[in-house]
Amino acid sequence: MPTSRPDNPLLMVTDLRKSYGGVEALRGVSFELRRGEFLCLFGPNGAGKSTLLKLIATLLRPSSGTVQVLGFDQEEHSEVYRAQLGLVSHQSYLYDDLTALENLEFYGTLYAISDPRGRAEELLRKVGLFSRRHSPVSEFSRGMQQRLTIARALVNDPSLLLLDEPYTGLDEHAANMLRLQLEELHNRDRTIVMVTHNLRRGFESATKLGILAGGRLRYLADKSAVDLTCLEELYFQHLEAA
Amino acid sequence: MNFLRQSLFLYRKDLRIELRKKESLVSMAFFGLLVLVILDVALGAGSRVTPETGAGILWVALVFSAVLGLGRVFAREKENGCLGALLVSPIFPGALFAAKALVNLTLMVISQVVLVPAFSILFGQGLAMNAPGLIPSLLVVDVGFSTLGTLLSALAAGTRRNEVLLPILLFPLTLPLVVLAVKTTGGTFAGRPIAELLGHLESMAAFGLIYSAVGYLLFPYTVQEG
Repeated sequence: MPTSRPDNPLLMVTDLRKSYGGVEALRGVSFELRRGEFLCLFGPNGAGKSTLLKLIATLLRPSSGTVQVLGFDQEEHSEVYRAQLGLVSHQSYLYDDLTALENLEFYGTLYAISDPRGRAEELLRKVGLFSRRHSPVSEFSRGMQQRLTIARALVNDPSLLLLDEPYTGLDEHAANMLRLQLEELHNRDRTIVMVTHNLRRGFESATKLGILAGGRLRYLADKSAVDLTCLEELYFQHLEAA
Repeated sequence: MNFLRQSLFLYRKDLRIELRKKESLVSMAFFGLLVLVILDVALGAGSRVTPETGAGILWVALVFSAVLGLGRVFAREKENGCLGALLVSPIFPGALFAAKALVNLTLMVISQVVLVPAFSILFGQGLAMNAPGLIPSLLVVDVGFSTLGTLLSALAAGTRRNEVLLPILLFPLTLPLVVLAVKTTGGTFAGRPIAELLGHLESMAAFGLIYSAVGYLLFPYTVQEG
């Protein structure tokens, strides 16, 4: 079993490129995140945000470049690398015909956690679905499914959580629940990468801000370097430049 | 978890959903029965058929009903993108292949438990319906069909026309196996001893082995995007 050195960055993305046929979706993206950092990446449609997240999540193969989590390369140490990840995507990744508890228990066992049932019940309490634990997911509303999706992504207590537009379709109550979950993860030194169009939501949660446009990372800085108004100006400047 | 435990764990999950919904099993058995009844009526209800014709009728019903189940197994993983979550998790892609092939194999065997006796009732007059001759052919075809079917079903599930693409790819590729199965089953129905049919069975086993190996090796490339 490979081991990680304590001085390794939690996430290291190096010159990552992805082409679909002749179209370059990502044109050499590089950045590093340390433990406990929360990066929010903004960008318009087609900027390459979801592609970047899919590449980090191993759902796509890069055309070139490397990604490492805790020093584990996604190609060389594939199983150990993937065990560190949690992913919230546009899709729920839930089985409609299984109950909420069965879904979380299934994913918990898949990640070989020690007490999948206990962990599933704990997460269902956290996202306010414990009373519906024996209901099949097909009976859940969109908001309830999104809350369960977040619980699913946290089932292995991931070192790196990847979020692709997680606030889409959430009502205020569910959005607040997600914000609290992210805060709690951040307080426990977990690293988070979130991509979104929503500048306000992203700005309030993140510790680091990035702007992706035309497949390139145009801006990356600590949140302390800008305020929300300044971020909006920067965002539109970089969009026009792209 | 090791490879075997991962495979069995994923297999149990799929079986639990299937036994709860019974979508594939009911449609496979129903479609197979429908084919048998239509052919029985077309040939004259209760009339005797030759061993070769009987074997052809049996395999038409079994092969067409099997395709219905093969298509469902991956379609379920595509709903809500569950396949993505499996690929992000630390499981071996080969374990996913083994689990899906095992599910398909189970569905085929269960549907055959219904269809073979139904065939025997409708067409069995004058045929030597001996189980020791029939079971090896059924099992070898089931293994070949379920492994290659799993690979092609994963491939087809990534397209918009998966229901159309799966049979178009599967039937030509499994034709040698099915032709051998028809010949072997025809020999069994004619009352030939199994020792005489061993040559066909060995060829069928070779096809089954090739399909399984190809399926296992190519599977990871069919489920990952780009």
